[in-house]
Amino acid sequence: MDFLLENILNLLGFLVGLGIGIVSLIGFRNTGSPTLFRLAIAFFSISAGFCVIWIGYMIEDFIVQSGNIERWIQTLGIAIQTIGYFFIAFSHSIKSLFPKSRYFRSVGIFPLFLVSSVQIEHIFRSVSFILLAYGAIETILSYFENRNKGAISVAVGLSLLALGEFLGWYSFVFPESILYVASTIIKIGGLIALFIPVSKIPLTKIKFDEDFD
Amino acid sequence: MAEYRTHMKIIGDILSTTRDDLQDEDGATVTYLIRKANVSHSRLSRMLTILVSQGLLEKVNAEGSRKYKISQTGREFLQAYHTFSGFATNFGLTI
Repeated sequence: MDFLLENILNLLGFLVGLGIGIVSLIGFRNTGSPTLFRLAIAFFSISAGFCVIWIGYMIEDFIVQSGNIERWIQTLGIAIQTIGYFFIAFSHSIKSLFPKSRYFRSVGIFPLFLVSSVQIEHIFRSVSFILLAYGAIETILSYFENRNKGAISVAVGLSLLALGEFLGWYSFVFPESILYVASTIIKIGGLIALFIPVSKIPLTKIKFDEDFD
Repeated sequence: MAEYRTHMKIIGDILSTTRDDLQDEDGATVTYLIRKANVSHSRLSRMLTILVSQGLLEKVNAEGSRKYKISQTGREFLQAYHTFSGFATNFGLTI
């Protein structure tokens, strides 16, 4: 059951992340907006993270068959997803804290030093939770500013992903409990909510001009 | 408090003015654009030079004055701008 849910979650996460990443990239290519570039990096990272874990589960299912996914694959996938969540939060921090600062726009990412050797995966999960919660709060605040209904769906999606990450992290305390399954189901719900407004973008109306830079 | 507008938003405002809000069919004068897009003369001049060089605006010499009209590429850019502006707003961001 856990394996099946994990497979669904990671495949869905891969596809949703890829879809939003492609839309963001198309937007960046058409407008040159740095915000859309950061969103593209964010969602391609999230997609890649889910993909790594999904491949890990597939290898485990069909080749290794030891009953457990390799811990380092799971950690790697979550780390890559965390980079994506960082870029979402980073875009919000630029908008909210440094709207006019060229310096902070130019800073891509700061080094992240991890000195602990215990359960790096759970450190990434807790960082992801903080970044997602921040992204959700900023998104809901933007809803109060411009009343865009799509923002509610994205805020709900980010909140559910944050809650899923929190429960996934908390299941470290109670392994083998229902927490992990609940975390996976909540994250699937979050991904679906995230994709709802993106699915309404009328990409077919946009005519691409390859010569335009 | 005045709303902070990104560079992209100002470009969108200039292009929208030249598409939807023209005084006449010849195009918009610099003075008209300054008033409608709410930007300083020096900044607008720099932006107009860039927009013309990118092919988003066309410079027209009419009745002894310079006027600006949106080009077909400009219309396509503006459509993409509005589409992806809505996309970014869904994420609580501005492009």
